[in-house]
Amino acid sequence: MLHIKCPHCGLRSQNEFAYGGDASVKRPELNKEVSDKEWNHFVYLRKSLRGKHLELWHHISGCRQWIKVQRDTATHEIFKTFKASEEI
Amino acid sequence: MISISSLENIHQKGLFGNYEGKDENELITISEIKNLLIVQIVKYKKSVFSINNINIEGIKLPNETLKVNCNNNLRILWCGPDNWLLISTNKELLNDINKLFNSNDFAVTDLSHSRTVIELVGKNAKEILKKGCPFDFDNLQKNNCVNSVFNGITITIDMLNDNPNKIRLFSLRSFGESFYHSVTDACLEDGFKAI
Repeated sequence: MLHIKCPHCGLRSQNEFAYGGDASVKRPELNKEVSDKEWNHFVYLRKSLRGKHLELWHHISGCRQWIKVQRDTATHEIFKTFKASEEI
Repeated sequence: MISISSLENIHQKGLFGNYEGKDENELITISEIKNLLIVQIVKYKKSVFSINNINIEGIKLPNETLKVNCNNNLRILWCGPDNWLLISTNKELLNDINKLFNSNDFAVTDLSHSRTVIELVGKNAKEILKKGCPFDFDNLQKNNCVNSVFNGITITIDMLNDNPNKIRLFSLRSFGESFYHSVTDACLEDGFKAI
């Protein structure tokens, strides 16, 4: 069981959160021409890292905000959490 | 409009569980709270309106986690950034709220008929909640609120008093019966009084 420090609410149990995927994926810019390959890469392709990873989590049963979590996928250690709008 | 209680068919008054040989006044009491005005207020992300200018019956909107600002018949719960739950016994307040909150800056939603409200009173109320909820209840003080889960059901917890513990629990109406069973099951060990 993980304990995640929500930047809005404080330390909470993983039960209150929903996993939202890789937070390092950037959506192609609006109105910019995007090739099928780039779009396919953005929508489907993900790395499956072992180690430090930046993830999105949704505090669905709490403040209902999306947050970013820097977590080690091997040890589950959480290094830092951010608001969704914040960059590292 | 006729209001039908969400626990109409399952909330029965009486003593239940392991109550024998115990002082009735020491038992946890469970009651359903009806006829509350419950309003969700959300400030739009792009709005630059300052909430410091807002005053509802002398109460400002709280702006920090766990915080509840209240008076005798109105409680405003912090539910998240720019997100509040207003609870009142005065149903007429809805008209004032709609006038107070500009629709360009705020979404105001009347949730009065879409929530089940259960009130637990007793010194063991926190212990009951600890059985199904991962929140650290030792940090929950009088006039604090928290959104969390109880046996998988998303709930809002509002602590009205701490001597004895008086805790109001809000769940979605559709989860009301499951939630009620979940709470009463947790109470059986100590025995409880449904009023």
